[in-house]
Amino acid sequence: MDGTKHIIKKELTRIFTDKKMIVSLFILPGVLIMVMYSVMGGLISNLEEDIETHVPTVYIQNAPEDFEDVIKELDYQANITYINSQDSIDSIKDDILIGDVELLVVFDEGFKETIGSYSSLGDAIPEVRTFYNPSEDYSGVARSNFNGIVLNTYHHYLLTERFGNTEQLQVFHIDRDPEAGVIVDEGKASGKSLSMLLPFLINIMLFQGAMALGMDAITGEKERGTIASMLLSPIKRSEIVFGKMISLGMLTSLSAVIYAIAVVIGIRNLSGGAMGEIASMTFTPLQIIQLLVLLIALVYFYVSLVVLVATFARTQKEAGTYVTPLYIIVMLGGVLTMFSSGSERGLEFYAIPVYNAAISLQNLLVGELTMPQFGVAVGSLAILASLITVLITRAFNNEKVMFNA
Amino acid sequence: MIQINELTKIYKLTKKQMIEQKTKKDLKRAVDNLSLVAKPGEIYGLLGPNGAGKTTALRCIATLLKPTEGNIVVSGFDTVKESEKVRKKIGFLTNEIKLDPQFSPKYMFEFFGKLHKVDDKLIEERREKLFSYFEITDFQDKKIEELSTGMKQKASIAVSLVHDPEVIIFDEPTNGLDIVTARNVTDYLKLLKEQGKTVIISTHIMTEAEKLCDKIGIIINGSKVSEGSLEEILNRTGTRDLEDAFFELYKIHNKEEE
Repeated sequence: MDGTKHIIKKELTRIFTDKKMIVSLFILPGVLIMVMYSVMGGLISNLEEDIETHVPTVYIQNAPEDFEDVIKELDYQANITYINSQDSIDSIKDDILIGDVELLVVFDEGFKETIGSYSSLGDAIPEVRTFYNPSEDYSGVARSNFNGIVLNTYHHYLLTERFGNTEQLQVFHIDRDPEAGVIVDEGKASGKSLSMLLPFLINIMLFQGAMALGMDAITGEKERGTIASMLLSPIKRSEIVFGKMISLGMLTSLSAVIYAIAVVIGIRNLSGGAMGEIASMTFTPLQIIQLLVLLIALVYFYVSLVVLVATFARTQKEAGTYVTPLYIIVMLGGVLTMFSSGSERGLEFYAIPVYNAAISLQNLLVGELTMPQFGVAVGSLAILASLITVLITRAFNNEKVMFNA
Repeated sequence: MIQINELTKIYKLTKKQMIEQKTKKDLKRAVDNLSLVAKPGEIYGLLGPNGAGKTTALRCIATLLKPTEGNIVVSGFDTVKESEKVRKKIGFLTNEIKLDPQFSPKYMFEFFGKLHKVDDKLIEERREKLFSYFEITDFQDKKIEELSTGMKQKASIAVSLVHDPEVIIFDEPTNGLDIVTARNVTDYLKLLKEQGKTVIISTHIMTEAEKLCDKIGIIINGSKVSEGSLEEILNRTGTRDLEDAFFELYKIHNKEEE
């Protein structure tokens, strides 16, 4: 296995002595990921802030006299226009549709009188109707704020007017302190939100790294005619294959680590608090070992997949064409986990390559990965990768594959 | 010692290759029933036009291709059954096999030395000797991609000799080189011959074959049509130089093929 050792050393030297390679493989993608997430984060928080601070334009028809006082007292921020029952509301509805006006509130005519004349069951109860556009962010927020702040208060105010003591009506409270009622496993809760995104990202990043490196290290060398010089050395073909795969695995892992750091930094900007979630996540030693083993199996599997394709491709262009469908499958495996939880799946699902890695990672992050699930996932990945390695070694012995002969 | 016994190499052509080569047959007989012996202390020259099968034959000797029929024995080892042992004994040079352009000649020399399990001290010694002979020392630390064609070729030759092989297989070794460098290379081949190495080269340059080779095998369309020393071939064909002899043979054998 001396040959393998020398080849690994050469492959790593090749990458690390080439500034362009370091920039294009590690630094540039890392910076891009970070910038992408930061920009996304910035945009989202800007958007949220914008909606929060936006002063809505509200039209109120037939507002009772005391309603205006309530609004003044509440310090409710809005450009309010009061209109009469004679005024047409059709043009206001049109403006809501195009997003120029956020909210129209219509009190029934004779609102206060109807309330005042109520005496027994079956008497008329007046209505307040709100018109808004749920597809407009401003409009939706304006309506819920108006309902929550203004109408609720006015409702309570009228109840007090009618009964004096409203405790009679309260009967019971629900959660006077809602925060105190939350019982949650912090680790699992933060894992839950991460478990949606991370399996997807890890899958893609590992494959991406293997793809970029593998095509150059195998097909590129075939194209440049440099791999043949190695085939002329008195070492076994399998030694060359192992040398290539191990060095690729190491580089892929390194690129994945760099990408992961970039994502974490990016996510911190994305949602402000998510970084705290990552920090508050705790892993048991067993979980850490499981995570490492799972990632190693996954790297081995993806590297073998890419190397297989790269070995059979005649040119890098051809390799790119072959590897794209695989990339899409890997992405799909990750996407599937984003919208479902892994715990209720049968053990056989853990034998499906790509998908098994994604669901195992998902379960691991919420602390629900069982040993059988872990075993089946790692086992199936390793067995498949070994089979592919055998195929690659055979291909390396095949003159038609190696020399297009 | 190289012994080729009734070597036939047939390629299966893809549809694209069939169109490129304007043939309707999907099999191409690149080498047809070729037998030859190259002995230590002798330079054997395979002479033939482009596409005659020279490179294919040499690649079979170098274990990169497997014979369809027949067998090849190099230094007592079969190229198929004991390919690893054969690779230990040979130094192979061909145009399509290149050194990694991102590395320096020095790095490549050491890398291949290690793959051949040569110990570090010996690698160092040989590097100094070969690099100074081929005048590589001045650019030994430059990246190969920055070197000129001639420099690259010289570096490739030096690297192919890192393990001091007893059999040297050079496919068109002076191709693309200027006269000075070409002379440098042929002189070294003579030196290797004097050291008792078995040397086999392919060429389509008649004067090179005339001056360099102790034995010449002329290949046309995959078959050996004549073999012997320069004198023997000239006598046999009744010509005055190798070029005339080659065309005599070419007229006869290329027709047969059609």
